[in-house]
Amino acid sequence: MSIEAVGYLAPLAATPGVDAAAVAGTGVAGNATAPSGPGFGELLARGLDQVNRDLVSSQTDVQSLALGDAQNLHHVMMRLEEAKLAFQLAVQVRSRLLEAYQEIMRMQV
Amino acid sequence: MDYRSAFQISASGMTVEKLRVDVTAVNLANVHSTKGADGKLFRPMRVVSHESVGFAATMRHMGFSAALPGAAVASVESVDAPPRMVQDPGNPQADEKGFVAYPGINQVNEMVTLMTAVRAYEANVIAMNVAKTLAVKALEIGGNS
Repeated sequence: MSIEAVGYLAPLAATPGVDAAAVAGTGVAGNATAPSGPGFGELLARGLDQVNRDLVSSQTDVQSLALGDAQNLHHVMMRLEEAKLAFQLAVQVRSRLLEAYQEIMRMQV
Repeated sequence: MDYRSAFQISASGMTVEKLRVDVTAVNLANVHSTKGADGKLFRPMRVVSHESVGFAATMRHMGFSAALPGAAVASVESVDAPPRMVQDPGNPQADEKGFVAYPGINQVNEMVTLMTAVRAYEANVIAMNVAKTLAVKALEIGGNS
């Protein structure tokens, strides 16, 4: 999954054609001029990493259940549900991003 | 990730009820057990559960903001029930009067315990499913469908 495709939205304020002071006045883009904390791409990568870890751990649980090592069934099912929910959240974030991207691509300049 | 706290709470309840079913199964399995090799009669067991004390601290440690208590097993203790005496002179375990001592297990009570444990387990599953449905519904916010 390429996160870089989203990345080039961020330096919008820094492009020569856009006046940074004028953009900062709008308030919304004020954050873009002075970013603090982790970037959006990093947040996304961290979230995907968490989802991946959930999926791997639920896979390990299912494996131990198949081998007869599982302590109890409901913990395995619950891990599976947690992984499923985390994955659905990631899918929703992806579809929102794609929607926003397509909305911007459709924009008349 | 606060939806996970509801999962953990329901899981703690399910663990308690599962143990209750296990212990009831032990009681029912030993309903016709006589004295063992050590001369001791099986004593019926019961699960005592209480609100989990360390659960809230564990939840806070795991990063959940709402630190609510779950359920936990306090102890599995033996019940002092008088043995059931059955007249059976042919039994090698019979005493001089021809009585055999069986554990004082009330099968009807055990069946009721089993049923309530199953219902409580089901209730925990439903509570967990509702929490999951809430999370899934929240993911539909702003969706096209």
